Amino acid sequence: MAKCPMLSAIVLLACFFVPAVHAQLNDQPKGVAEELAKRKWNNSPPVKSFYSGQKNHGPAPVRDLSGIWDGTAEGGGQFKGPILHPALYPGSRADDDAGHPDETGVVNPLPFTAAGLEALKKNKPGDGVRAVDVANTNDPVDYGNPSGFPRMLFYELRVIELTQTKNQIIMLDEFDQHWRHIWTDGRPLPDINDVEPRFFGYSVGKWTDDYTFEADTVGVDDKTWLDNVGRPHSYDMSVHEIWHRVDYDKIELTVTVDDPKYYSEKWTGLNKLVLHRLSDDFDMEEFIYNGVETEDYNKSVAGEAARSGKPAK
Amino acid sequence: MSGKVGAVVVMFVGLFAACVPLQAHHGNASFDVSKHPTVKGIVTEYVWANPHVYLKFDAKDENGQVQHWVVEASNPPDQTRQGWTKFSFKPGDEVELTMGSVARNGQPIGRFGFRGGIILNGKPFPPGAENAGDTGETVPKQ
Repeated sequence: MAKCPMLSAIVLLACFFVPAVHAQLNDQPKGVAEELAKRKWNNSPPVKSFYSGQKNHGPAPVRDLSGIWDGTAEGGGQFKGPILHPALYPGSRADDDAGHPDETGVVNPLPFTAAGLEALKKNKPGDGVRAVDVANTNDPVDYGNPSGFPRMLFYELRVIELTQTKNQIIMLDEFDQHWRHIWTDGRPLPDINDVEPRFFGYSVGKWTDDYTFEADTVGVDDKTWLDNVGRPHSYDMSVHEIWHRVDYDKIELTVTVDDPKYYSEKWTGLNKLVLHRLSDDFDMEEFIYNGVETEDYNKSVAGEAARSGKPAK
Repeated sequence: MSGKVGAVVVMFVGLFAACVPLQAHHGNASFDVSKHPTVKGIVTEYVWANPHVYLKFDAKDENGQVQHWVVEASNPPDQTRQGWTKFSFKPGDEVELTMGSVARNGQPIGRFGFRGGIILNGKPFPPGAENAGDTGETVPKQ
């Protein structure tokens, strides 16, 4: 809105915006998963039930996370916030709960400090119980910023590719084609006062046993949000990840946030979230929110839905 | 509406379009999820894009007036998982859609549900959709 300050008030009144469809797709038409499995280009992962019917490909390889992995099936979209801390009221599943001033009463509330609550109020999300109309949101992702870390794990965790080199584990993310690297060469984390903030921070990691890789991240720019519902973090935040290779077909991912400035205790957003192994020839679709297509969408759909008019019949 | 007022409205609409944030991952305020009209018409355009796939079609209302409907789906990866492709619809196709929700403002704008609800050239779309179960979405069972 700051881009058009003179007309902000008018636009605020005018903007009732079309939402995304926030479905967790737990079902799909018969035969689609089988058809997708045969596809060589622009593939999309199956739903959860498909994996339960698949044969196990054996034990986990030693010290190896490489492969293409699916977080979609287990709810990686996380439109309402991290799986363990959704900004939803108990029993709620729809988008009806919005516009509340804070998160009082949500499922499994986060332990905000006073400073954390103050920072939370400054963030105006488009989703969750504090959701505002799109014209009012100040979600940095909506204005073209990368989601950053750990939001890339707490929002739109769909298909990722992990690859390993001599000195790094590299994560390639389908959503907006983000990537990050975790150094494994033994270097320590930097002193955050000696480096510039980064959207994806500074990450180092190591194998704690043959099947468990743990990583720590610091130095994340505090302009990024933790999730899709506007939870803030300070520059002092550190994030701990545990990537446990259960067997050939599964990784369990645990992500814990430690930010004493904004949260009175550590909290875990994902606890052993299962990532399913996709076939090695799985070709990711492009999933990039780009300005041109979005502007077309705004004109064709959102702008029309925003117009005033008679009530729906 | 006078010419001046109309010009101002047009200006505001244009500025509105320029001011809204880029993306659209947010709530449901503009749509009434309790209404699920079924509308039959002819496809005029099909857009496979982010943040949302959407379909435009023309349908006559109860007074015989042509309504230009726009119905949005989710993003391409979600729709791919439901058996859609960039080539699923083409201009001239006959569609019968049961909306998952419709715009509260009465404009001919809707959202797809995820199960059943789409008849394309006389057949359920996507093939096998009639066998899909409850997805937690708002479209009633057909």
